[in-house]
Amino acid sequence: MSFDHIMSVTIGGLTVGMIYALIALGYTMVYGVLKFINFAHGEVFTVGGYVAAFSLLAMGIDASTPWLKVAGAIALALVAAVTVPMVLGFLIERIAYRPLRGRSRIIPLLSAIGVSIVLQQLIIIIFGPKPVTIPTLALSSASVSFLGVNVRVLALVIIAVSAALMIGLTYLVKSTRIGKAMRATSQDMEAAEMMGIDTNRTIAFTFLVGSALAGIGGLLVVMYYGSLKYDAGFLYGLKAFTAAVLGGIGNIPGAVVGAIVLGMTETYGVSVDLGFLAWFVVAGLVLGLYVQMVRVPNRRLAHIAADRRTPEYERSIMNVYRLTPYHGIKTLLAERTDALLSVSAVDAVRLMAGNIFLAVLAAVMFINSSARIDTRWQPVIAFVVLMVILMFRPSGILGEAVTEKV
Amino acid sequence: MEPVLELQDVSMSFGGLKAVDSLSFTVRENEIVSIIGPNGSGKTTTFNLISGLYEPHSGDILLKGESVAGLRPDLVHNKGISRTFQSLRLFTNMSVLENVLVGMHSVTSAGPFASMLRLPSVRREEKAMYDKAQEILGMFPGRFSGPRQHQPAFSLSYANRRRLEIARALASDPVLLLLDEPVAGMNPAESHEVMEQIRMLREKGYTILMIEHDMHVVGGVSDRVIAMDHGVKIAEGTYDEVANDPQVVEAYLGKRAADATA
Repeated sequence: MSFDHIMSVTIGGLTVGMIYALIALGYTMVYGVLKFINFAHGEVFTVGGYVAAFSLLAMGIDASTPWLKVAGAIALALVAAVTVPMVLGFLIERIAYRPLRGRSRIIPLLSAIGVSIVLQQLIIIIFGPKPVTIPTLALSSASVSFLGVNVRVLALVIIAVSAALMIGLTYLVKSTRIGKAMRATSQDMEAAEMMGIDTNRTIAFTFLVGSALAGIGGLLVVMYYGSLKYDAGFLYGLKAFTAAVLGGIGNIPGAVVGAIVLGMTETYGVSVDLGFLAWFVVAGLVLGLYVQMVRVPNRRLAHIAADRRTPEYERSIMNVYRLTPYHGIKTLLAERTDALLSVSAVDAVRLMAGNIFLAVLAAVMFINSSARIDTRWQPVIAFVVLMVILMFRPSGILGEAVTEKV
Repeated sequence: MEPVLELQDVSMSFGGLKAVDSLSFTVRENEIVSIIGPNGSGKTTTFNLISGLYEPHSGDILLKGESVAGLRPDLVHNKGISRTFQSLRLFTNMSVLENVLVGMHSVTSAGPFASMLRLPSVRREEKAMYDKAQEILGMFPGRFSGPRQHQPAFSLSYANRRRLEIARALASDPVLLLLDEPVAGMNPAESHEVMEQIRMLREKGYTILMIEHDMHVVGGVSDRVIAMDHGVKIAEGTYDEVANDPQVVEAYLGKRAADATA
């Protein structure tokens, strides 16, 4: 396990994460405004990729084309990969969602799944069922030395472009007139209307922006991997949606954070040695023990009236958490629940079992430290991490964009 | 005085219930008119009809002689009718200042591209919006000064939220301001302060139609009072005329009370 390897895995993870983020933003923005999941968004991404690939092919670009011509072709492909998805996103909203607005939430959701299936079939009908492949370009295979590591230029381009787009989007939503209208619409559509905001236009604009970002994502994926399949949008869409939920649905920075966490997890999980991954388990264990032994008892003590906080009492509370295995077995044997301390034997044993499990897991990983997890397990690892994060933070890493109703 | 708002035989029913029944009244320029009536008498429905949330089943609503009945709420707002809500509906996750700026949406025009490029025209508009917002927030001395403007609206006290709703409604320089129970839930000192501010708004030339239960406020600011019951206008006139109208007393207190005062 060299530094070089970790570095290149990190950049790989970040690249994948940024692509997820570009798609996830569309999910989260639409959810923020309409409170439903636009399942057709993954297909909008695929269409972006296909349009980009076919425009590159149509312009006859290959490895021998001079770079200026390549740059021009990519610029044209970018225009196509932004415009077509924008038109598509606009039409989807107009045809499949707007007539159903105001109905119970399950109805536009069904419509979204329907649109997704229809679009996938249309892609097959128009472009054929075979994956589209673009010729290898000098740009997509070029690499550069970055912090002493060989990195694909394209990976850095993807990270930079996505970051710039996200900063732009944040500015758009936070500071511009239309962004304020978007936020007002997402919080109270009716009140926004009565304050003079054309909510239909605002919603259409949200779809335009989300689709443009997904289209750019499609172009970047085609250039990075060289090919795209008609059903790619399903998995990318699902992962981007997961990222949006992971970061906190409806929350724009959350979508980015969730996407990076997901991208990193997927990449790290199968690309580094178990011995390295074990440190993450150790970190989790240390964090858990800190919460269990310091945060929770202190917080519990803070709720207790000062006159009851004798030193013996404080010690007895701390002991429950600090010496969980010992205390857990003792309470279990005594078959009693310590009501005063409000920690039951079952709780104590659970905490103990969790700590032991993580410790054993880390030990096993350290013993097999040079082994790696097979790539086929990638979705499983991502799923486990998702479950663990959502178990502890059901509203996502940065929390949902709450709309407090008074 | 020129009529600003005219309701002509406006009716609206929900299923079999006639929420508003052939309601007609006029609000003239720079006038403060209050609508009173027991709960469920159709006051808020009337407001929702005027602001375009509902379309009247019959009758017409004219703003300066031009029909606004059945127009989309945002278009009604563009025509110059702005309102507050009985159950507060601020954009709670946005800052105090942003709430006022959102209120200016219909009188500003910066497009997304111009905003992203920060063209000079956008910067001028933003500066004008900011100054205007300061002027409006300044009408509530000491309530929205300095750092408080950048706090989210949900952090405000109840009375300040009501004030902010008024500020947001004023942001678009409305031809007609609809206030739906502006002092609901306020203590006497607070509601007196709001009353003074409503008076001040009239001095600034605003035309106000208000729903209010607080008779101190209604009596204190209204040029005319309209009393409603079961969707029907039962009395109209000065505060004293309406307050002593037997039908109004009956609507509020029952028939026996009305007979006793008669």
